[in-house]
Amino acid sequence: MTALLDVNGLSGGYGDVTVVRGVSLAAGSGQAVFVTGRNGVGKSTLVKLIAGQLPAESGTISMKGQDVTALPAHGRRRCGIGYAPQEGVVFDGLSIFENLTLHRPDRDLTRYRELFGQFPRIEERLQQTAGTLSGGEKKILSFCRALAEDTPLVILDEPSEGVQPENIDRMAQFILEAKAAGRSFLIVEQNLTLVEEAADHVYLLDHGECVFETARTDNLRETLSERLQI
Amino acid sequence: MDLILTNGMNLVYAVATLALIALGLAVVFGLLGVMNMAHGEFVMLGAFSVYVTQEAGLPILAAVPLALGVCGIVGYCVEWSIVRHLYSRPFDTLLATWGLSILMRKIVEVSFGRDYKSIDQVLPGTVDLFGIAYPSYRLVLLAVIAGFFGLLFIWYRRSNTGARIKAMVSNPPLAAAVGIDTARLARMTFVFGVCTAGLAGVALAPLVRVEPYMGIDYLLSSFFILVVGGLGSLEGLLIGSTVIGGTDAVISTLFAKTSGYMAVLLISILFLWLRPDGLFSRR
Repeated sequence: MTALLDVNGLSGGYGDVTVVRGVSLAAGSGQAVFVTGRNGVGKSTLVKLIAGQLPAESGTISMKGQDVTALPAHGRRRCGIGYAPQEGVVFDGLSIFENLTLHRPDRDLTRYRELFGQFPRIEERLQQTAGTLSGGEKKILSFCRALAEDTPLVILDEPSEGVQPENIDRMAQFILEAKAAGRSFLIVEQNLTLVEEAADHVYLLDHGECVFETARTDNLRETLSERLQI
Repeated sequence: MDLILTNGMNLVYAVATLALIALGLAVVFGLLGVMNMAHGEFVMLGAFSVYVTQEAGLPILAAVPLALGVCGIVGYCVEWSIVRHLYSRPFDTLLATWGLSILMRKIVEVSFGRDYKSIDQVLPGTVDLFGIAYPSYRLVLLAVIAGFFGLLFIWYRRSNTGARIKAMVSNPPLAAAVGIDTARLARMTFVFGVCTAGLAGVALAPLVRVEPYMGIDYLLSSFFILVVGGLGSLEGLLIGSTVIGGTDAVISTLFAKTSGYMAVLLISILFLWLRPDGLFSRR
């Protein structure tokens, strides 16, 4: 069976500096695949390569069997790869309403109804400039935008960074519900609580290489903690 | 009283036409970061569109689609072939568009000659405006410019495309991540900028000298407006036009035209020195 996302021997980085080296991973429909590891090992670079924010030096990226390696970022989005980055997560100069709707011709907020139910502060401040939000609130806004899209795959880079614990639980709940509906996730995350709650498969990165992978197990947190030497 | 009103209307006219001329550069430089040294040549193309339609025996309004077509096609080709490769290299863009400006001037010179072209008066005569006789064409032009800026302001603030342009300018990687084709949007923004320059040329052709080298003055005045007003906002463009146009008009009236130029130059130097981001920078 063809995986929804299939990454094979992917390498790349910034200019002449190669950060990610020969990483392969796959995500099937309805799966949440997590990438974890210590700071600076290339996790964000890996998802930037997959989302088209950086050009790949070598390797291939396939989405639903189609090779998207050469496509620009907006082309990959149209092929079904949604992406919420770790930094620069919102358009600071635009209102929250514009952040949520500028990429939709209909500018309709209906698709955000359930998300607004759990994150009411976003809906309350639709006309506020997004740049005035706190770091955690920006992350929630970015999460809402990515979740409300109709992309079969959602890439989230450190979605829980700076977010209150109760809101992380709500994020996890949305991820589980979306998985049940058949959507897939590729999530870079160091928060093992979120990994434990939602992961189907985990890849551990070190020095830009995949050094360990495991499917979901009963003792996932212990296994990862040991590997991460926390 | 009549003198004050006449000078006031002349001041408003100077500010409005300057704002129209500078709009294209404000769009291309302010939003895309491209210092388009060929901006004045697109104004010149617009003015020559009027000359061509006049020679063909067509009304001036026929110059509007002609100028839009010529400037749009040239702008599209320039962006696609030159500018898009240089977005992150402002100095190279400046040099490339400077070379382009020379090429455009020379092509027009070879095609139409170096001499001034005579453009027929449009809407000759005057209208009575609060007791003063004001040229009809200038009055119509003022109304058209005011309407155009009003619509542009509302469109940029409220439309989805306006929001997309602001998104592309503020955070290009995220704009691409949400599915915006930033390369195409930048190309369309560039084309829009040069087309407004062409429209300015059409509007002003009956009032100014039309010749292949006319664009140089327009580039300089547009640049001074952006220095004073700042980049990336319509408010800055209007304030910059008011300061530059107002200074030029007042000093030129009180002393001489050369004094007006010197005052504008002095203000621009002071802004570059003391407030390099201008009055309303959004970048």
